[in-house]
Formats: sequence, structure tokens, C-alpha cells
Amino acid sequence: MTTTIEYRNVSMSFGTGAQAVRALDPTNFKIGNQEFLMIVGPSGCGKSTLLHVTSGLLKPTTGEVLLDGQPITAPGPDKALVFQNFSLFPWKTVWENIDFGLRINNLPRDEREARVRHYIKLTGLSGFEHRYPRQLSGGMQQRVAIARSFVLRPRVLLMDEPFAALDAQNRAIMQEELVRIWSEQRSTVLFITHSVEEAVYLADRVMVMSRRPGQIKEVIDVGAVTGASHWRTRPLNDVASDAKFQNLRHHVWESVRSEISPLVGA
Amino acid sequence: MARALVSVASLGLLLLLWWYATEVAQLVSPFVLPSPGDVISGLARVSEGYMGGSLMEHFTASMSVMLSGFLLALVIGIPLGILMAWIPIMDRLFGPLLTVLRPIPPPAWIPLAILWFGIGIAGKTFIVFVAAFVPVLVNAYVGCKETPINLLNAARTLGASQRTILMEVVLPSAMPVILTGARISLGVAWATIVAAELVVADQGFGFLIMNGYRNFEANIMAGGMLLIGVIGILMNLGFVWLERVLLRWNAEVR
Repeated sequence: MTTTIEYRNVSMSFGTGAQAVRALDPTNFKIGNQEFLMIVGPSGCGKSTLLHVTSGLLKPTTGEVLLDGQPITAPGPDKALVFQNFSLFPWKTVWENIDFGLRINNLPRDEREARVRHYIKLTGLSGFEHRYPRQLSGGMQQRVAIARSFVLRPRVLLMDEPFAALDAQNRAIMQEELVRIWSEQRSTVLFITHSVEEAVYLADRVMVMSRRPGQIKEVIDVGAVTGASHWRTRPLNDVASDAKFQNLRHHVWESVRSEISPLVGA
Repeated sequence: MARALVSVASLGLLLLLWWYATEVAQLVSPFVLPSPGDVISGLARVSEGYMGGSLMEHFTASMSVMLSGFLLALVIGIPLGILMAWIPIMDRLFGPLLTVLRPIPPPAWIPLAILWFGIGIAGKTFIVFVAAFVPVLVNAYVGCKETPINLLNAARTLGASQRTILMEVVLPSAMPVILTGARISLGVAWATIVAAELVVADQGFGFLIMNGYRNFEANIMAGGMLLIGVIGILMNLGFVWLERVLLRWNAEVR
């Protein structure tokens, strides 16, 4: 089954009248099946808004988002969202957190158990099933959050700066882990990040957004540069010395930087 | 360890001063401040039976009325607080009423409660209920309102219904605050039953110290106060233990 997301004239304003803040200007865009789309942009550029509209948590002021041709009207397990601050249920154990989405969607008990077990193993959480989130490190907590999303086999995976709260080493490890988990179960990914390196490393395409009100400034086709042997299939440390990678990283960084501070620099 | 030592030392010093002022130097009359020995003998006398009841009977009288009012407050206050937090119309319906009733100190209800329910158990239960109700309700309300928006969003994106969100996200998230409210309320209920018994009662700890006052027995008054304090401490400790057992997941409960 193919999954496409289409944005038709999607815009978002918060508040009304003179106080209204335009967060996102009318946006038209299409995301392909099983694509890894990375979104970068300055703070307040509407990238989180775009993600929340896609999840169904926010209703756009104008336009609509189509998932396989059907308008998105409400959040649901086909559109999983991974949060920057993990957002695990602190009163549920690792197992209960991962099982939650399956249980409330009334999956049969055997299947729930098999799936939870599978993702606990896949995310390296074996032995931590009965811990509470507060007993885990940040990196482990984000593994639980990722498992909680993947276990639902969502068509779309939405990631809102998922690794921003992690230290550099954990971030690099989690990026590689994510690719490994994703390659087993490919969904269409929208991934917001502040890290240009992360964006270029993981992306099929990188979307750069302009400062508020957010617009799509530029879309860079990373896949066209790398071809079939994608950077994300190799360790970040090896890729970082690749001249093509460095050039692209430089290009994206300049594009983002010109949006961050138009008064300083060229 | 050193801190505990200082606490013990300060208590010990106070006891020593009390004993010295009353028994050794006899600086104050025993009618004003009884000596530690007097208080102990007073307690011994009460435990054998005082004013038509053994110590156990006074204890049972205070405790049963206090617990009925407290439990009534939990049964009504917690669901109402949750409903007010969850359903806007309930908030608008009961919010103003609460704003008006909340600033009235519970003992101010005593005369009206006697008028409505008489001088028996019902009247005192009502007073305790009114006193215990407010902290229970307010904390249940605030606890639910403070559910982190991220957890609500996470549940929604995982496909949770409104009912599931209430039962599995809002309630567990509010539980620490609800329990804190119940613990505060228990202390208020204990204070209120004693106050009510000072005014109208033929049994209970409030009645006990009021009789000490009427009969110029300062040692009975002091002994009764001491018991009230100890029972209050024990109830609070019990509740703290209960919170720790119920909220193992919570890092803030130690």
C-alpha cells in the first residue's frame, strides 16, 4: 500500500483580528510514499504547526491535508507522533506505554503481546519492560516513545525534534537506530529538526522553511545526490567526511541561517 | 543524623524547661500550666474512664464522626472536582457557588448545622463534611486541569477516546494532587471535629478538654490536647505512607 500526503492551500493563523498571528502561509506540497522528509527552519517558522496539522491535532485555518486522498480531520493511530520531550505516561511501565495504543484500539491480546515484545527487542529495551519512565535515561525514554509509535504500524510517522533533548552521542546513536527500525517497517516520515546535519543525513528530501509566517523556502532532493546508497544507511561518522555531504550540509545551513537573522551577515 | 539530633534536642529542652518551671521551681500555678507528671496522671485517669466514657469511647466518638464526614467529602468532592475540570458547563454551574462558600471558615457553620441537624452525630458530620469538602474538591479540580497538554496530545494521537483520556490519562495524572488534597482535608476534618465537640458534644476529645476547662483541670485539657496532636501526626504519617504505596511511579513521592 502506498501512502501519500498532500497539502492543499494549508495555512494557519492563531488568534483573531488585529492580534492574529500568521504561523503558516498557504502551503501546497506533496510527500511521496515511504519518503523521509526532513524539515528545518528557524524557531517560529511554522514547522511544528505543519506537523500538528498533519497529525490532526490542529485544524488548519484554510485548506486541507489529504492522506491518500482522504482529508485528515482527527488524530489517530495511523499518524503517530513522537514528541521532543518523549511524553511517556509516567504511571505506566515501559511495556504498558508501548502497549497502550494497541490496547485502546482493541487489538487481540496475542497480537498485542507479540508486537510489543518485537518492538521492545528492536529498540533495545529488553530487560526494562517493567521500569517506569523516570527510572530510564533520556535516550531510553525516547526509545520507548519510538517503540510506542512504531508498534501501531502507522502510515505516517511524525517526529517533532525527537532527539533535541539528547546529548550528541545519544543523538547519533538514536539516528542510526531510527533508520534501522524504519528500514524494517517503512512508513512516510516527517521529521522536524534544528540540526542541519541530522536533516541532510536522514533525508530523502530536506525542506527549508522561511521565518514567520512560515513558507516553504526550498526543497533539496538529497536522494538525487546520493542515489541508491543513501547516507543514512552508513554511520554518520563515515558520511561526515564525504565531500558531497559536506557541500549539501553547507548549502542547507546557509539557507537556514539567512532566515534566522536577516540583519546580521550576508 | 545531625539534623535529627537537633530536633530531638530541641524537644527535650522544651520538656526540661516545662518540667523545671512547673515541678522544680514552681514558677506557674498548676491551674494554669500543669506539670508533665500531672498531665500523665490526668491521662491515666481519663483512660480509666472520664465523664461517662473510657478513652477508647471518646476516641471512637471523635473518629467515627470525623471519618464519616471525611469519607462523604471524598465521595462527593473528588467526582465533582473531576467533572468540573472535565465538563465546562459543570464548572460554570458549581464554580460561583464554590467561590461564595469557600471563604467561610468551617467552624462558622456550627450553629447553622446544629439548627438544621440537631446536636447529635448528623450535625457534626455535616460540619466535618463542609470543612473537608473544599480542599478535596479544589485539589481534584486543579489536579485534572494540570494534566500536561503533551500527554493529552500523545493519547489523542495514539487513538484514545475522550473516555479513555479521562480514565487513563487525566485521572492518573491528577492522582498525586488528589491524594494531597485528601491528606490536607483529613487534617482539616480532625481540627473541625474537635472544634465542633468544644461547642456541642457529650463524648469525644473536644468534649474532654472542654470538661477539663469547666472543672479547672488543666492537666485533663493538656492531656487531651496532647492526644489530639499525636493522633493527628499518626493519621498524617499513615496517609503519606499510603501515597507512597499508591504512587510508586511518581519521582516526587519519596
